[in-house]
Amino acid sequence: MGPRDRSLSSLRTKTVENQTYDERLEINDSEEVASIHTPTPRHKGLLHSAHLPNKTMADNSDEYEEENNKEKKKPSQLTPHRGFSENDDDDDDDDDDSSETDSDEDDDDEEHGAPLEGAYDPTDYEHLPVSAEIKELFQYISRYTPQLIDLDHKLKPFIPDFIPAVGDIDAFLKVPRPDGKPDNLGLLVLDEPSTKQSDPTVLSLWLTENSKQHNITQHMKVKSLEDAEKNPKAIDTWIESISELHRSKPPATVHYPRPMPDIDTLMQEWSPEFEELLGKVSLPTAEIDCSLAEYIDMICAILDIPIYKSRIQSLHLLFSLYSEFKNSQHFKALAEGKKAFTPPSNSASQAGDAETLTFS
Amino acid sequence: MMLSRAKPAVGGDLPHTDKRKKKGRKIPKLEELLSQRDFTGAITLLEEYENVTKEENCNPEVWVNLACTYFFLGMYKQAEAAGFKAPKSRLQNRLLFHLAHKFNDEKKLMNFHQNLQDITEDQLSLASIHYMRSHYQEAIDIYKRILLDNREYLALNVYVALCYYKLDYYDVSQEVLAVYLQQIPDSTIALNLKACNHFRLYNGKAAEAELKSLMDNASSSFEFAKELIKHNLVVFRGGEGALQVLPPLVDVIPEARLNLVIYYLRQDDVQEAYNLIKDLEPTTPQEYILKGVVNAALGQEMGSRDHMKIAQQFFQLVGGSASECDTIPGRQCMASCFFLLKQFDDVLIYLNSFKSYFYNDDIFNFNYAQAKAATGNTSEGEEVFLLIQSEKMKNDYIYLSWLARCYIMNKKPRLAWELYLKMETSGESFSLLQLIANDCYKMGQFYYSAKAFDVLERLDPNPEYWEGKRGACVGIFQMILAGREPKETLREVLHLLRSTGNTQVEYIIRIMKKWAKENRVPV
Repeated sequence: MGPRDRSLSSLRTKTVENQTYDERLEINDSEEVASIHTPTPRHKGLLHSAHLPNKTMADNSDEYEEENNKEKKKPSQLTPHRGFSENDDDDDDDDDDSSETDSDEDDDDEEHGAPLEGAYDPTDYEHLPVSAEIKELFQYISRYTPQLIDLDHKLKPFIPDFIPAVGDIDAFLKVPRPDGKPDNLGLLVLDEPSTKQSDPTVLSLWLTENSKQHNITQHMKVKSLEDAEKNPKAIDTWIESISELHRSKPPATVHYPRPMPDIDTLMQEWSPEFEELLGKVSLPTAEIDCSLAEYIDMICAILDIPIYKSRIQSLHLLFSLYSEFKNSQHFKALAEGKKAFTPPSNSASQAGDAETLTFS
Repeated sequence: MMLSRAKPAVGGDLPHTDKRKKKGRKIPKLEELLSQRDFTGAITLLEEYENVTKEENCNPEVWVNLACTYFFLGMYKQAEAAGFKAPKSRLQNRLLFHLAHKFNDEKKLMNFHQNLQDITEDQLSLASIHYMRSHYQEAIDIYKRILLDNREYLALNVYVALCYYKLDYYDVSQEVLAVYLQQIPDSTIALNLKACNHFRLYNGKAAEAELKSLMDNASSSFEFAKELIKHNLVVFRGGEGALQVLPPLVDVIPEARLNLVIYYLRQDDVQEAYNLIKDLEPTTPQEYILKGVVNAALGQEMGSRDHMKIAQQFFQLVGGSASECDTIPGRQCMASCFFLLKQFDDVLIYLNSFKSYFYNDDIFNFNYAQAKAATGNTSEGEEVFLLIQSEKMKNDYIYLSWLARCYIMNKKPRLAWELYLKMETSGESFSLLQLIANDCYKMGQFYYSAKAFDVLERLDPNPEYWEGKRGACVGIFQMILAGREPKETLREVLHLLRSTGNTQVEYIIRIMKKWAKENRVPV
């Protein structure tokens, strides 16, 4: 709609006739509205346009007679009830003042009042056998002329339904790919992101992981979730992707400044004699009466982990070894089988490594 | 795709990630992201363009890319500035063509249009403009022509489906859409369109179900069309949450403003509705209709003829247009137009043509009953008025006065009188009394006329009311004599007369009593 549409349809390359609204005309007067598109013939109601003489309100008994005369002058097509459509006489006015003049008081509408079906007609009662006195009294009835009360009309506009949005069509304003390859977006597939999108935070974590640049401290935007309690799906997805990330993480490598045996060596079986001895004597537990440092030295010595100046690196190796055993499918299965024969540990606080070592 | 946004998106809305970091590992990754249509990661790269252009010796092609990016962010001025710096290219021409449309610049539009060539991208770009200008058939013609030679261009089916949707051919739209969804079942645009088709064909519930499956399948970082979906959920739920969701979307999604207007209209907040729409330059039938509706509502509320005139012209424009004249909204427009012109015979022609769709609709019945009554068909008028359920409408003076008139014309003056009895004393109840007094008088229903005049006379000692009451009382007497009123009523007549202190009263009473005595009627 609007003027610009018409000009577009007159553009040269491709013109298709019969644009929406292109036949639109500016019309001021209702009389001209009739177009070939209106579904039903109009204007049958406009026959009364002949202007009837205005009549001033007269409080006399001639009223009805006059109105009856008028009725004969009117076109017969008029519905007998014309009486209550107000201001119809405006139709033949010109457009500057076509409707709702709000001229309540000038009572032009009197002319509609005539042919009311079922209206009181004094002549119906002339035959009544009454005394002259009563007949005279009856004149009071016609002495009062009921006013025609104009009633307002109110259009309750038809409120449209809510309108869903479907968006616009691809305009083919696309940044070409830097490699010059066709991307076929908007042709083979719609130019829209797929519903499966990677989480930027997770992706970043993966990339950081793969690049092994752990020491680069970068501030990472932490995602927050609105109405988290209403969105368990998002939380589940997050947890899942993070655990996946962790699963794939290789154990953190620590650079030892002094020579250390590698994990595989440490995982080798003990000599059969030692194994046999372990069947009789259990390894020292954390309950043993010594300091933590001494206990560490003791355990590391049993496990062939050297201790240099600091125990930190030795401990790191110790825990790496523990972790390796714990995550090893082979030893897990072995432990499951062996556990049946191992008496339950007497202390709940027993160190985990001691327990694992028992299995080996 | 949302090309019609009017409010620029602010840069801050974009997900920010560390630019330097991305660039370092990027180049091979971008391609991968693109092929997976995972743009969330790729978007940041575009922000680099502006910096690149500041470097010397930068590739001038970068300007047009930057311009495109600005365009999609709704920053049209910047887009144009960047676009003009770019060397001439087909992409640049398409971009400027679309910008000319945004700026409503007909002359430029024609120029750039002439530069379009008969190549796929240019033609598709043109079709997109046709679509935005509501020239759906022209757009369809272009798509179908291209599809004929390029069956593999599946996306074009969705464009065609969008056009059919706009043309109200929802079934056809669904059919064409299915071709695409069969291949790409999780397409957001296509699924949203499907939901909209369901909304039109069935109801909001069916539509919401479609959207729900879309939302369930989307990953949480999926931001695309989130606003569109939120917007449509409000629509499908009949306006639920409109005030929370819609205001920030105004000028982002073109329909958001219209829906907010519709929401306010439904809440009877005409002023708010008007404020939202008064500066809108209508271009689509929906916009014309809504402007008409708001002006009609406001005009009647304030008694402003200017607003009514505007309303009537907009209604006429839509209702008389080739594309809308046979739709229900188009006919509603025509009916409204004639209603405002008070040509009720014509109003009825249009209302009758679609009344079967609105049997229980209060708004329809309110207008329909008035038109029936205004054309003198008071018996059907009464019937339709009585179908109305809304308490608010039933207390509207328009309803009360017209129904009272219908009752009187249909010889049920007692019911009209009861309408008056239920009203609180007010200017309106006074008006209703005048209506009952005079209409009943005219119809020879003197008993209720006398009662009404009696009350009027007490409220306002206007001699006219006495004359009315006098005539009505004598009228009852005549009816008693004619055997049309029970004789016992005479006692009440005398009582009514006595309440007036007037010399004529004695004379009248004397004659009536004399007759009563002669006819052995107790008084």
